[in-house]
Amino acid sequence: MSEAGAGALQATSRRRRLAIDSPVVLKAIAGVLLLALWEGVVRAWAPAYVARPTGIARVFAAVITDPQFVAAAGATLGAVALGLTISLVAGTAVGFAMGRIAPVEWSLRYYVNSLFATPMVAILPLLALWFGYNGDTRLAVVVFASFFSIAINAADGARSVPAEFLEVARAFRARPLGMLFEVIVPASLPYLIAGLRLGAGRALVGAVVAEYFVSIPGLGYYILYNSRTFRHDEAFVGVLVLVTTGVGFEAITRWLTRRFLPWHRRT
Amino acid sequence: MRPQRTWLRRITIASSLVLGAVVWQVAGQFASDAFWAPLSATLASLVGVAKSGVLLRQALSSFELYLAGLAVAVAVGALLGMLLARVGWLRVALEDYIMMLYATPMVALIPFILSIMGFGFAPKVLVVFLFAVFPMLYNTIEGARSVRPELVEVARSFHSGEWRLWCDVMIPHTLPFMMTGLRQAIARGLVGMVAAEFFLSPSGLGQMIMMGSQNFDTAGMLAAILLIVLLGVGLMDLGRWLERRFAPWRAYQP
Repeated sequence: MSEAGAGALQATSRRRRLAIDSPVVLKAIAGVLLLALWEGVVRAWAPAYVARPTGIARVFAAVITDPQFVAAAGATLGAVALGLTISLVAGTAVGFAMGRIAPVEWSLRYYVNSLFATPMVAILPLLALWFGYNGDTRLAVVVFASFFSIAINAADGARSVPAEFLEVARAFRARPLGMLFEVIVPASLPYLIAGLRLGAGRALVGAVVAEYFVSIPGLGYYILYNSRTFRHDEAFVGVLVLVTTGVGFEAITRWLTRRFLPWHRRT
Repeated sequence: MRPQRTWLRRITIASSLVLGAVVWQVAGQFASDAFWAPLSATLASLVGVAKSGVLLRQALSSFELYLAGLAVAVAVGALLGMLLARVGWLRVALEDYIMMLYATPMVALIPFILSIMGFGFAPKVLVVFLFAVFPMLYNTIEGARSVRPELVEVARSFHSGEWRLWCDVMIPHTLPFMMTGLRQAIARGLVGMVAAEFFLSPSGLGQMIMMGSQNFDTAGMLAAILLIVLLGVGLMDLGRWLERRFAPWRAYQP
């Protein structure tokens, strides 16, 4: 909650004499209104199969306890977690090498930057050819989607380590590994978190797109299959799981930044 | 930087690019045709489609889709963001929902769009729009939140009208954030464009990649991918340039 928002809110409620004095109440009212708008629009104009809040609420419990759905969600989120871990380890290693060793930076810069700018969807058919129409392709897409944002941020972080830190460490005869884990990693932590946050969002998109393309069980395929068979309410529960995951990543990285790096205001 | 080092740098960059091209070529000669095509074949295929006019037609089709979606997204994102910037209670009411949609992987909505709107141009524009609009909106709101209430109060106490308030306080403070939003929208819109061309009715550069992969024309597929990579790099540079141009004190931060 921002002070600016609260200030404006107080001013408004004073002026309008509406007793909406709590932002939480205001947000809740807005949420209910948005849901009602969605429900009303779908009921009035859309075909009967289109997802709407009451329909989703009706099927929610059944879908979320359906073993098939649980397995699909587990497969997708598991692949995202595994792929992100691979990207985090490999991307940080490559990024640190680029940030601290000039020739590495010179020789990799164009490749890393251009693959970072590439929409990962475009590479999908190629990766499907290489890894086959199975879970390996999804993992490869997740890694490809997240690796470069993590590497680029790790390189920026390693480059931004103040020279004084390194001089002091050298003066105390720190070993290379000590230098890495006790100076470079902590100093570039805000960048690593920013890279992870960006990479996590892309990884989630990558996993869903890969499932559309190679038709393997997972949340993306669950959504695709159910919406094709006009069961939009069921399919939308899958979307809700993805939204929760996306928002969860965002919340976790924000919390990490605030908790461990309070001096770093915005990433 | 010492001149010797500059030379070393140039030589390293040049040799890494040459090495990449050689590896591409050699890998293409040794790998099966289905997996990888030599650089020479890829470039030949690129020249082929360029000469036959297919490339121009498909690129224009992609471009039309991308620009339509991006333009609507930027207009809606900026205007709605500006509205929320001034109307505090509306912003407080909606900002969490907008943050939620910003974090939502929009690809998840493609099957619904396909099943409700079917094939055609409009659903694809909607996909590009959905990919691009939330970064724009989200960042504009972040910018509005960063305008300190004291500034508005000072302006008010000097009898600033709404117009002067916008020119002197709101826009200068919000614009840098909007440029960050625009950079993100440019990048996400491109992902949306390819996704729409893949999963809705095939068209444009996305269709070229698809056809290449379905016909085992690996060189053709690589040629189209290479184009998209170059397009992505160019658009990202454009985004960063815009951000630097309008907000030099907020140059590229991830």
